[in-house]
Amino acid sequence: MKGWLVEFGPVHPGLVESIMKKLTLLAVGFILFAIAAPALAHHSFAAEYDANKPVTLTGAVTKIEWTNPHVWIYLDVKEESGKVTNWGFEMGSPNGLMRAGWTRKSLKIGDTVTVEGSRAKDESNHVNARSVALAGSGQKLFAASSQGQ
Amino acid sequence: MTGPAPRVNGKPDLSGVWQVEAEPRAPGGLFGLGESPNSKYFRDILSDFARGEEPLTPKGAEILRRNTQPGVVGPNLKCLPDGVPHADLLPEPFKIIQAPGQIVMLYEVLTIFRQVFTDGRKLPPDPSPVWLGYSVGKWDGDTLVVDTMGFNDLSWLDARGHGHSEDMRVEERFHRRDFGHMDVAVTIADPEVFTKPVTINFVERLLPDTDVFEHICSENEKDSGHLPGTTK
Repeated sequence: MKGWLVEFGPVHPGLVESIMKKLTLLAVGFILFAIAAPALAHHSFAAEYDANKPVTLTGAVTKIEWTNPHVWIYLDVKEESGKVTNWGFEMGSPNGLMRAGWTRKSLKIGDTVTVEGSRAKDESNHVNARSVALAGSGQKLFAASSQGQ
Repeated sequence: MTGPAPRVNGKPDLSGVWQVEAEPRAPGGLFGLGESPNSKYFRDILSDFARGEEPLTPKGAEILRRNTQPGVVGPNLKCLPDGVPHADLLPEPFKIIQAPGQIVMLYEVLTIFRQVFTDGRKLPPDPSPVWLGYSVGKWDGDTLVVDTMGFNDLSWLDARGHGHSEDMRVEERFHRRDFGHMDVAVTIADPEVFTKPVTINFVERLLPDTDVFEHICSENEKDSGHLPGTTK
């Protein structure tokens, strides 16, 4: 893991395209997880998150809420300016994550992870996570996102 | 999964953990990832009809209009139950336990259940209106036919926002065609909201290597506060 990475979209189509290409490279792995753990039904992704605002954020885990209806993790993310901001990431239900290979011990406070997902429409520091990659092991987990509903 | 369906007492045994077959919203899924598939009937119970040609009565159209206003959210966002047949169409699985005289359906979402009485009883004349109704079942050959009424009018039929009245009647026909697949035909009759009965066909797939687990939604509900236009 080389430093802290912060990417925001969409702003201009080229950036979106480059992010989408990167995501497509990961498609095979995601599809495997997607089959095992489809979306959570709790809410409409489209009402709350914007698929046109893909983000990739890396940071240290500060809090884990392993609860229904959605698991939330929080990361301290250092921006290019050096400012540290706490972001919240919504994932699937504990059951959905479990079927995708997670346990409640998959992440620990202080772990460095990279999350890909879509930012909240209300511009708050909330993201619907699609995948979580652990910096230590390189393990990547599908986040049982509700995107697509 | 394509072997013969198990049988018990001369009938197919529907017991198992089932999940509706789903499709991505677009070819390859969003971003080409194929993530988050769900059934088109989960999204829109009338998805077989072209937009504008749905068989809705004025009341049915008015319910949809009301439910699609900014800030209006479905019951499940408030951690209230899904109804019938929406509960069969969720991405999360449900479990069928086939017992003598009754078939029990355990829905993972909200940890709720239905009892389908197969002991020959009739539907009650005036049941108390509830989310999942009152169900009786009988066999038509190898197909289990479940007849349900006694609904309240609070549940949504889909994520889009179609609703129904307390007079809705639902027939579900479950046919386990082989070990791993169950064909389901559901007919919804509700003259208050639909100009004609609506039938949908979908497939439930057996999930042989998982179970249904407790899911109490209201533990840590945060979405309603983030939704644009909703009351915080």
